[in-house]
Amino acid sequence: MLNTACNPMIEDYFSELERKMSDLPAPDRKEFARELRAHVLDRLEQNAAAGADECRAVLKALGTPEEIARQYRVERIMTRSAWRISPLSILRTTLRWSLTGFQGFAVFMVALVGYLVALSFYISALLKPFFPQNVGFRAGEQGFTIAAWPAPHGVAMLDAYFIPICIVVGYLFMLGTTLLIRLLVRRVKSLKQRI
Amino acid sequence: MVLLRNSTKAEASEKWEAQLRKGCLELAILASLWEKRLYGLEILRVLEENSNLVLAEGTIYPILGRLKEEGLLQSEWVEADAGHPRKYYWLTATGRQKVISMGHFWNSFAANLNQLLKPVLNGKGK
Repeated sequence: MLNTACNPMIEDYFSELERKMSDLPAPDRKEFARELRAHVLDRLEQNAAAGADECRAVLKALGTPEEIARQYRVERIMTRSAWRISPLSILRTTLRWSLTGFQGFAVFMVALVGYLVALSFYISALLKPFFPQNVGFRAGEQGFTIAAWPAPHGVAMLDAYFIPICIVVGYLFMLGTTLLIRLLVRRVKSLKQRI
Repeated sequence: MVLLRNSTKAEASEKWEAQLRKGCLELAILASLWEKRLYGLEILRVLEENSNLVLAEGTIYPILGRLKEEGLLQSEWVEADAGHPRKYYWLTATGRQKVISMGHFWNSFAANLNQLLKPVLNGKGK
């Protein structure tokens, strides 16, 4: 059926795709590769005498593994509900982008700063029971502070609600960052499509 | 955000075209499934006949995956009589509703824009 020159080319293509998608769950990745394989086989069956050139043309029309893996990852981030996407997966995706150019880097920095702010609220909530005097919302000479050593005098604002507020605000920052990244991803995606 | 906008004019127009294409691709994929269930390559063939929407063929598969995740499509692997199985897609009830409303929106949108473009493309005026 398939020309012997064709098979290694196809295998190369799919092992490259596998590599580019290695950070995604295996079942999803395999299902996706299976579908693309069916596509390639169909294209080649139209041309029974497919040789190396035809094979190359079919794979070229499909797009590079990198291009397809990127598109796959982007569509995934866009569909999953924001609370089902882990910040780690966003950071990993944007970290890859940050290596591809300036826009990618800017998106990564936004994600990093947003999640760090969220994380610092969570950490404050965790520290509060251990350092009740040091941690708290205070507006003083140094501006607004959330933790200070040595412990300042007086009672902090909304002290009884400190932990729930931190958890809620931290969560909102996390969700907000994910949503913002998704918005930016839509923009960057359109830039990437120029390839 | 500002950092993302510093593209040259040529880039900006290509970007516009790419965005337009991308936006329409989703509608075109949904519309191609109106009559019957199709697998990826059949969808591509329909799109090739009717438009030049697709740049890299492989990119429709992630989009199909997303449309499925959004509940607009359903899919199933079907064994062929000869050869290998293929993954067929069809519209769900939600998908049919969606493509109708997208179609209506497209029609009025395109009509308004064509109206606006009439003087531009007729080359009258200044």
